[in-house]
Amino acid sequence: MFPITFLLLSALAALPGRASDLAPDPQDFAQNCANCHTIGGGRLTGPDLKDVSGRRDKEWLLKFVVDPKKMLDGGDPVAAELYKAHNNVLMPTIAGMNAARVEQLLALIDAESRLEKSRFSGLELINRPLLPGDVLDGKALFLGRKPLKNGGPSCVSCHSVGGMSGLGGGLLGPDLTGVFARLGGEKTLAAWLISPASPIMKPVYAARQLDPRDILPLVAFLKDAAQQGRPADSIARLAFLILGLLGAAALYVVLDSLWGARLRGVRRSMVNKRSEAHDV
Amino acid sequence: MDVRSQISMVFHLDKCIGCHTCSIACKNIWTDRGGTEYMWWNNVETKPGTGYPTRWEDQESYRGGWEVKDGELRLKSMSKARSLTDLFHHPSQPALDEYYEPWTYDYQNLFNAPEGDDQPTARPVSMVTGRHTEIKAGPNWDDDLGGSPVYAANDPNFSNLNDEQRAQLFAVERLAMFYFPRICNHCLNPGCVAACPSGALHKRGEDGIVLLDQTRCRGWRACVPACPYKKTFYNWKTGKSEKCILCFPRVETGQAPACFHSCVGRIRYLGVLLYDADKLELTASLPDEELIEAHRDMILDPNDPAVIAAARRNGIHDSVMESARKSPVYQFVKVWKIALPPHIEYRTLPMLFYVPPLSPVLSSKSEGVIKNETETLFHEVDNARAPLAYLARLFGAGHAAKVRYALKKELAVRLHRRALEVGDLDRAAADRALLEADCTAQEAEAIYKLTALCTFDDRFVIPPSHREMAIEMLEDPQERKQAAGFGFLAGPRRGA
Repeated sequence: MFPITFLLLSALAALPGRASDLAPDPQDFAQNCANCHTIGGGRLTGPDLKDVSGRRDKEWLLKFVVDPKKMLDGGDPVAAELYKAHNNVLMPTIAGMNAARVEQLLALIDAESRLEKSRFSGLELINRPLLPGDVLDGKALFLGRKPLKNGGPSCVSCHSVGGMSGLGGGLLGPDLTGVFARLGGEKTLAAWLISPASPIMKPVYAARQLDPRDILPLVAFLKDAAQQGRPADSIARLAFLILGLLGAAALYVVLDSLWGARLRGVRRSMVNKRSEAHDV
Repeated sequence: MDVRSQISMVFHLDKCIGCHTCSIACKNIWTDRGGTEYMWWNNVETKPGTGYPTRWEDQESYRGGWEVKDGELRLKSMSKARSLTDLFHHPSQPALDEYYEPWTYDYQNLFNAPEGDDQPTARPVSMVTGRHTEIKAGPNWDDDLGGSPVYAANDPNFSNLNDEQRAQLFAVERLAMFYFPRICNHCLNPGCVAACPSGALHKRGEDGIVLLDQTRCRGWRACVPACPYKKTFYNWKTGKSEKCILCFPRVETGQAPACFHSCVGRIRYLGVLLYDADKLELTASLPDEELIEAHRDMILDPNDPAVIAAARRNGIHDSVMESARKSPVYQFVKVWKIALPPHIEYRTLPMLFYVPPLSPVLSSKSEGVIKNETETLFHEVDNARAPLAYLARLFGAGHAAKVRYALKKELAVRLHRRALEVGDLDRAAADRALLEADCTAQEAEAIYKLTALCTFDDRFVIPPSHREMAIEMLEDPQERKQAAGFGFLAGPRRGA
């Protein structure tokens, strides 16, 4: 139910982008691309896009950006190579992406590539070294003990992470223990967090963007989690199931005691008792 | 003194032959509709037996009626807290199996069966599922002591009989039974009315008939467990509850209710009783052994000038007072004291009274001769086939004194008439019996007359109901006539 709702929401969020047919839209790039790509700022989760038109065939680009998953599944060698080169992270399919939009984006990238310094050459979020205190801060944010500054939902609602106690986090999103390594470091992770690109996180955090002051401790926490390297507790899932069963059993006990004196088949038990006695 | 009038009833069990004509009359008029197939507003039970629904007298299970807790009257089935927890499920409500699964027969098969080697049969078909069914129980499954090792042996009224008495009752030579016809008792302190969360149940002001408003009923079913006599029923088709209405459309037009009218043994009497509503709560919370006397005390003498004046103040019409003075019920209950309420320990103060039955003569057979075992022509009350302790459980709240008094008087009337008519009994013996029974010859004659020679008009003294006056208290007939069409446009249905 929820994923469907989110997908619908994300489709709605993408509508304005599709509608603008006129000029290259920097907003589209900022919202949908900048979390993984820079233009002349080096590699984040995805490759640096400076002069990408020169490197790749235009037709390939059009097809790939519209539906990367289809390309990979279709056995395209370039897509496979990129997939491997980027820690097996596949570029998400952006809802509402079409050829016209890709053309606009490519035009924007070409224009930006010609500049000395593009405005998409990467954001300087991590402007100080991570401190041990940040890890604790990040943990509090992750677990929701401390609210996120802009009121977004805490990570734990959908994600689990290694070393969490109790029943673990939510199971809707992936386990985030290895995310630091998978995305490729502080800068990349921070960029991702500014505007998360996954179809579920995107609409959720579109209105309540993560504040840079939250992102820093979260990155520190996830880095720590990756270094500790403990995978999320699989026992937690089992514990959740067992706890649920126990809770249901307890509820039955309560209801039974509440209705302990209820009527249980007067006639049938009377007749059965007699015929049992008769058989013996 | 808060005088109210109540249409009350007496069933003379000594006359009941257990023919079920009353049940059929009621069934044909009121409960032959969809959803009511399993209901018997009037039913006839064989005692000892478990009745309908099975073991309905076992209030440990069914939790009907009232109990006194901390000096206060409380419903057994409900409390404020429980009304929440039991909102959608009343834990002590009888299931269909406790009534019975109603059935009909596949009669068409008798006509349409293909030619074959055997006679076609009409197999039973469940009226609930519409499929062929195996009949496991019926509303009078234990009729005439049928299946008595199961049914009669489980009669809840045996609770204060010892094993010897029980064994005696089931000994072949002594085996006794009697019939116990039941309808709604139209109680003074009805549990069903108290339990209803929708205010659909009410006791009619003018004649005390307890009715269930089909438009106000929301099908919570609180009345079903609350009635200790299990005389409110849930209609699964309309989603409303229903009960005996004492055939009020007949009563209002001066006719006896159908079950009364059709009674073959003429066991049923109907008439007005006046009672003092001020004494109600106090009476219902007295200890068991005082209940019968206090209940009788609530009933007022319609000849007493103070009562007449108080009745007039309460708007009871003179014609109703006149009817009360002729009431056969008043004679049986208050004057002769031989009619007793059933299970008054349930504290609903029933207004249907029973004249307890005398048992058949105790005899033994030796060498082909049947010999009467008692010295006096009939049996002795304390040594009757149906033990006094058993009858006391039914009609005396467990105490034998009032039942013994009634039975002795009934017996004395028999002896008196025997001495007069047949003459094989010593007159002095008859007079001694009368004296012992606290009965004069005159009273015995009166009892005899109303028991044996009673006509329709003696048995049914139906008060004029003055519906026009009752209606005018609630609405202006002229206005209603102008505002409403005629007819019952919307029948009862779920959610309305």
